[in-house]
Amino acid sequence: MKKILTVILCMTLSFSIFAQEAKDKHLAKLPAIDIQTLDGAVFNTKDIQNDGKPVIISLWATWCKPCIAELLAIADEYEDWVEETGVKLYAISIDDAKTSSRVAPFVKGKGWEYTVLLDVNSDFKRAMNVNDVPYMCILNGDGEIVWQHTSYAPGSEEEVHEIIKSLVK
Amino acid sequence: MISTSIKRILIASTLLLGSVWAFGQHQIGNGRISGDFGFNGMYYIPDSIIGAEPVDSKVRGNAFLNILYTNGGFSAGARYEFYQFPLIDFEKIGYKGQGIKYFFADYKNSFIQVTAGNYYEQFGNGLTLRAYEDRQLGIDNSLLGARIKLTPYKGIYIKGVWGMERYNFDSYLGRKDFVSGADLEISLGELVPVIQEKGFIARVGANFVSKHQPVDYPYYFDLYPGTDSATLAYIPEDKIPVNVGTWAVRGTFGYEGFRLDGEYARKINDPNITNHFIYKPGEALFLSATYAMKGFGIAASFIRADNMEFRSDRYEYSNSLLMVNCIPAINRQYSYQLIGDYSYASQPNSQIGAQLQVNYQIPKKSALGGKYGTDITFNYSRFHDIDKQLVPEAVENGTLTGTMGYTSQFFKFGPNLLYQDIGLEISHRFNNKKWKWILAYNYITYNLEILQGHAGVMRGHLVASDLSYKITPKHALRLEAQHLYTKDDIGSSIYAMLEYSFSPSWFVSIGDDWNYGNPDPVHKTHYYNISCAYIWNTTRIALNFGKTKEGILCVGGVCRAVPASYGVGLSVTTSF
Repeated sequence: MKKILTVILCMTLSFSIFAQEAKDKHLAKLPAIDIQTLDGAVFNTKDIQNDGKPVIISLWATWCKPCIAELLAIADEYEDWVEETGVKLYAISIDDAKTSSRVAPFVKGKGWEYTVLLDVNSDFKRAMNVNDVPYMCILNGDGEIVWQHTSYAPGSEEEVHEIIKSLVK
Repeated sequence: MISTSIKRILIASTLLLGSVWAFGQHQIGNGRISGDFGFNGMYYIPDSIIGAEPVDSKVRGNAFLNILYTNGGFSAGARYEFYQFPLIDFEKIGYKGQGIKYFFADYKNSFIQVTAGNYYEQFGNGLTLRAYEDRQLGIDNSLLGARIKLTPYKGIYIKGVWGMERYNFDSYLGRKDFVSGADLEISLGELVPVIQEKGFIARVGANFVSKHQPVDYPYYFDLYPGTDSATLAYIPEDKIPVNVGTWAVRGTFGYEGFRLDGEYARKINDPNITNHFIYKPGEALFLSATYAMKGFGIAASFIRADNMEFRSDRYEYSNSLLMVNCIPAINRQYSYQLIGDYSYASQPNSQIGAQLQVNYQIPKKSALGGKYGTDITFNYSRFHDIDKQLVPEAVENGTLTGTMGYTSQFFKFGPNLLYQDIGLEISHRFNNKKWKWILAYNYITYNLEILQGHAGVMRGHLVASDLSYKITPKHALRLEAQHLYTKDDIGSSIYAMLEYSFSPSWFVSIGDDWNYGNPDPVHKTHYYNISCAYIWNTTRIALNFGKTKEGILCVGGVCRAVPASYGVGLSVTTSF
């Protein structure tokens, strides 16, 4: 027990010193992970882009109520946002084999205009270090992650709106 | 003892969280370090009425830290878990210990991907192989070994795996069992572009998975898990299969809004404790047909599984330990408090059933739909056990063990209804955008005997309402109210929860689940909960106080028991 704690402590200390030195201001980009389109074709997350305009990425699932509430709230505004900023929303579902075949009918049933992708093995979720859904992040025109958020509280879509507006100024 | 556990949990969590801040999100050369941390702790208070037993360490907690390094096509990562004094739910399922049980290095380019260490993988729908994790359930079936993925030509995908399955915090040392397999997927649309251009989707796949486990007992003995009357039957050592193979074929075909998915899997003789050591082959069929257009979607699926429980160890039967595959539960999953305990759990050895779901949106700006439209979801599902006729030899011997077991008519439903759900959900947003209302009704039939092991069937009507009101753009109130009416099991309950949120950071809620219909007056208990959460970017801190009913927790048809508990909980998650 003590040994392990000592090891972690040493790792932590050495890393913090090491990391401090190497610290620089680059913003993170998305990891390149193979996920799927709704048609089942392979899609690499490095291909998430929007011709220099901002991108919103939502990690969600058909069984996650707050995720759906968030995507519904944005759906009401989405047309206006697209017109105003050219933003594109990628809704990446983490539904696994049990429910992934129901994602397409679900999305169509809701009439969502988002680009929907499937992360059935949670590979993208793990690479993004996401603990729980809903998770949302915003990429600027260069594909850099400028904002991340977990959970959904009604009204937080206003913040998302403000950020994407500031990115196209 | 108490102070040691508190001290150790505190030290471990502080160190883990400290390393989160130290690591930060850092660029090192061209590489990048990221990670996430989670802590879930509780102070337990005994409560004899709800059945919350006194525990030896009152303060308990689960903590983990993931660190990931990526540099171009190379990545490596590790997870440290501290579950030395875990929450009692985890202690009950044996998820106890600490250490680095997950680490890997991975390299990928457009042709090849190789992984060494632990990895998660799934072939097709998971009927033959599904190595996955679910932290909430305490499932981690990652494989430790090697994996290779090849894309020799656009549209052709090959995977090969070899590894030992994780078994809680046990060391892999001295293990002789392993799983190996290969999967081929051909995407005809990518291979022959004209198919894609005409709007067709066509993909086919096939795989083979084998489990190797040497014989370490001279004979089989059948324990009949859960009963005391152990029936012993002897099988000569040379009749025990050291290797058990499964294979599956699958296809996906689509055109415009239509889509058809299917997979058939077969398992060659696998006498194990969950099938009473029979030699009958296992088989599973999964079919799904969906149609979707704007504002309308319909999905129908069918599943039949016969003797398909497939584990690395033929003597293992608890929870999802050492499970190699995963037979999906295709019913609709709900997050309603009052029917959480009546969620269907997939039965890989015996289930046949179907599910139908229809989503419809009454168009926006119509008289009924209102400005934002009204969403309607209808759902029906029904699952039975499979038909079984014992083979003459089993009848003669008085035991299934060592025989071919039974025969079964493929499409015939068995005598026992396991689960049925008829549901309707309406969701409407009002014109001023301030009010949103979801109203749902479900009639549920749940076989307590087969799914939970205590006698009877629960038939209940659930009415649930979820009303949200946006006071100002950032302040919102949400009221959930539910009523489950039933004469079975622990009787009727009523639930109400009021949540106030101040976006994007604060949540406060108070709720009560009152089991007013319990046949035993002493147990007409209030299960109240008060909770508060603060969210800052990717960090979430939540504090709650209250009582939890004894029951089951299910995520996607996989369930575990939840003991009754009372106390104060703290949960922290963050990523960087």
